[in-house]
Amino acid sequence: MSPGPTRPAMRQWADRPLAFKGLVVVALPLAILLGALFSLYLASNAEARAEDDVRRAFAIQRDTYQVHALLAEAAAGVRGFALTREERFLEPYRTAEAQLPQTMARLDAAIRDPQVRSQFERLRGLTARKREGLARIVALALPAAASGADRAALEQALNANKIVLDTMRDEIDNIQRREAVLLDQRRARVQDVRDRFLLLTAVSALVGLLGSLAAVYLFSTGIVRRVRQLENNAESLARGEPLAQLPEEADEIGRLSHRLSRASALLRARERDLRESEERFRLVVEQVRDYGIFALDPEGIVASWNAGAQRIKGWRSEDILGQHFSRFYPPETRSFLPAQMLERASAEGSAEDEGWRLRKDGARFWANVVITALRDENGTLRGFAKVTRDITERRRSEIALRMAREEAIAANLAKTEFLSRTSHELRTPMNAILGFGQLLEIDEDQFEERHRAAIRQITRAGRHLLALINDLLDISSIEAGGAELRIEPHAVRDLIEEAHALAGPIVAGAGLEFRLDPPGEGLTALADRRRVVQVILNLVANAAKYNRTGTFVQLSCTGGEGFIRIAVEDDGPGIRAADVPRLFTAFDRLGQEDRSRVEGTGLGLALSKSLVESMGGAVGYEAPRGGARFWFTLPRADTARPPRAATLQLPDETTPCPPA
Amino acid sequence: MPARLIDTAEILACRILAIDDEEANVLLLRSLLEREGYGDVHCLTDPTKALAAYIDLAPDLVLLDLRMPEVDGFQLLEAFARHDRADEFRPVLVLTADTTIQARRRALSLGAKDFLAKPFDVIEVALRISNLLETRMLYERLRQA
Repeated sequence: MSPGPTRPAMRQWADRPLAFKGLVVVALPLAILLGALFSLYLASNAEARAEDDVRRAFAIQRDTYQVHALLAEAAAGVRGFALTREERFLEPYRTAEAQLPQTMARLDAAIRDPQVRSQFERLRGLTARKREGLARIVALALPAAASGADRAALEQALNANKIVLDTMRDEIDNIQRREAVLLDQRRARVQDVRDRFLLLTAVSALVGLLGSLAAVYLFSTGIVRRVRQLENNAESLARGEPLAQLPEEADEIGRLSHRLSRASALLRARERDLRESEERFRLVVEQVRDYGIFALDPEGIVASWNAGAQRIKGWRSEDILGQHFSRFYPPETRSFLPAQMLERASAEGSAEDEGWRLRKDGARFWANVVITALRDENGTLRGFAKVTRDITERRRSEIALRMAREEAIAANLAKTEFLSRTSHELRTPMNAILGFGQLLEIDEDQFEERHRAAIRQITRAGRHLLALINDLLDISSIEAGGAELRIEPHAVRDLIEEAHALAGPIVAGAGLEFRLDPPGEGLTALADRRRVVQVILNLVANAAKYNRTGTFVQLSCTGGEGFIRIAVEDDGPGIRAADVPRLFTAFDRLGQEDRSRVEGTGLGLALSKSLVESMGGAVGYEAPRGGARFWFTLPRADTARPPRAATLQLPDETTPCPPA
Repeated sequence: MPARLIDTAEILACRILAIDDEEANVLLLRSLLEREGYGDVHCLTDPTKALAAYIDLAPDLVLLDLRMPEVDGFQLLEAFARHDRADEFRPVLVLTADTTIQARRRALSLGAKDFLAKPFDVIEVALRISNLLETRMLYERLRQA
C-alpha cells in the first residue's frame, strides 16, 4: 500500500463493520439509480413544456387564421349587405362580432413571444379598426339611413375597410410566419430534449448497473478473498502450521483473523510446552539404564523401547518394535505366562512377576517385571507399560547369602548337637564307673586295704575325669556360641559378696585369710551373674590352691571408664615370668604336672577367659611384689553396650545347658 | 534315716521298674536297690518292651532313661500318662546323661516326678527313690480312705 493521504480514509473504511460496508455497497448503485430517475423526471418535464409550446403555436396559428377568416367573411358579407341590403349578408358579420373577442382573448393568453406579442398588439388594433369600419358600413348601409349622401361615405368606408383588411392580412401573415419559425424552433427543442433524455436514461442505467456490479464485485471479492485467506489460516491452524500474516482490519473478519492468530500463538505455546515436557519425559525414559521400560499395545506387541531395555535384553529398538513380547519368555513359560500377565494387569491394573527371561542371545536372566495397564479417560485399554529389572545378581547373592546362613545354622546346630551327644556319650559310662565306685566305697569295710586304695583311686580319677569333661564341654559350648548367657545389669557389690560367701570355705580350707575389698554402692556391670561368680570362684580357688607360702587371698573391685575391674590377689610364690604367656592356655598347668600336689583340670583359666570374653570383658595377669594378681573386666551397665556374644545366640532349643 | 510316715518295710516291698538301654547302668541300679533292701526290682534294657512291662507289672515307681534307641524316654512318658487313670500317682524318676535344660523341662512337663543327671550320686538316687515311694504310699492310703 502506498503511503499517502488516502491511507487514513482507507484505514477508516477497512475498519468499518461489514454491515456498514454492505449497506454502502448496496446504497451506492441505488443512489445512482435514484439520480437517473430524477433526471428522467426533469427531462420528461422539459419535454412536456416543449410540447405545450408546439401546441400553443398551432393554436396561435389557427386562431390568427380564424381572426382573418372571420374578418374576411364579415367584410365580404358587409359588402354584400351594402350592395343588396339584404339582411342575410350580415350573418358572417354577426358571427365574427360574436366570436372575435373570444378568439382575441385566447390569442392574448397564448402568445408569449415578444415579437409576436407586438405584432398581435398591432393586429388587435387593426382588428378593432376593422370591426369599427365594418360597423360603420353596416350602419351606413341600413335601410333607414340609405341615402345618396351616404353612398359616398359608404364607398369611402368600404375602401378604407379594404385597406385595413389588407394591412391586417399582412399582420396575420407576419404572425403566421413568426409562429411558424417559433414552431420550428420549439419542435427542434423538443427533439433535443427527447434526445438528451434518451442519452441520460441510457447513461444512468449503464452507470447504475455497472457501478453496482463493480461495487458488489469489489466488495464481495474482497470479502471472499479475505474469508478464503482466513479459511486457509484456519486450515493451517488445524494442521499446526504457521499462519499467513493478514492485514489487521477492525471489522468482523479482521477480528476473526486476529483471534485466529491469537489462538495459533496460544496453541503454539501450549504445543511447545507439551513438546518440552514430552521431550523431558522421553529423555528420562529413554536414558534410564537400570530399568527396561517399554510399552506394549493391547495385544502385547512392543511399541516403544528404552536404553535400559536394550541393555538388559540385548535387543535394539529397531529389531524388537512390532514383535510380541512373549519372545522374552523362556519356552517353559512362553505359552501361558505372557497372556496371564496381560490378563492380570488388565483385570487388576498391574501385575508383578519374578522369573527367568531370555536375552536376544538366548541367555537367561532373573527378572523382576511389573506390567501396568494403560487406560484412557474412558477406561478403554490403550496398551501396557512394562518395567523390567535384571535382578540376577541380587538373586544370586540372596541365594548365596541364604545358603551361607543355612550352612552356618546347620554347622552351629551340628556343633551343638555334637557337643550334646558327646556330653551324653561321655557321661553315660562315667555314671557306671562313678556309681559302682561309690557303691564300693560305701562297702569298703569288706575289702582289704590295698583294694580300698584302688577303689578310692577309681572314684577320684573318675571325678577328675568328670570335672574335665564338664570344663571341656563348657569351653566348647562357649566357643561355639552356644552358651546360654543372661546378660543383665548387676550391682557389682552383690556379685562380689556372693562369690566371697561361696569361696569362703575353700580359702579357709587352705588355711588362708580371705580379704574382701568391696566396691562402693552404685557400680553396676552388664554380665551373667552365674558366670561371673563362676569365674571369681575359679580364680579364688586357684589362688587358694597355689598359695602354699603366703597368708591371704584378696578379692577387690574398682570402677573404670566404661568397665569394672575385679581382681583376685594372693601373696604366694607368684608365677614365673616365662610362664605368664601360657597362663590362659587349656591343659597347661605350668609345670604342676605333679597332680598329687595340686588338683585341677588345667582348664580353669581357659574357661574363665572364654566366659569373660563372651560377656564382653577381658582377663589378665600381673605380678605385684611377691604374689600373683589375676583380674578381669566387665562392661559397665551405665556406659557400656551389651557384648556381641550375647546377641549371637541362636534361638533354638538345643543349646546345651551348663553341667549339672 | 529320718523318721518316716510309712513303714520302711512297706517302702522296700514296693515294685520298681528300671528302664535303661545301657546294661551297666541297669546293673548299677539293681545293685544299689538290692543293697538298699528293695525286694521287687525289675530291669529292662529293651525300651520296646517297656510299655508292656509297665502295664503287666504295674510298678510303684519307674526309673527311666531318656536317650534310648527305637523308643525314647519321652515317648514312654507319654505312653504311661495315656495308660494311667487320672487319679493314679505312679512316680517316674528320670535318670539321664542329657543335661540340657530343654530335656529336663520336657521330661518334667510330660509327667516325670523327678529328674537326676548322670553321673548321679548313688546315695542321692536312693533317697529320692524312697521319698517318691513314700509319697505314693501316702497317696494310695488317702485314696483308699
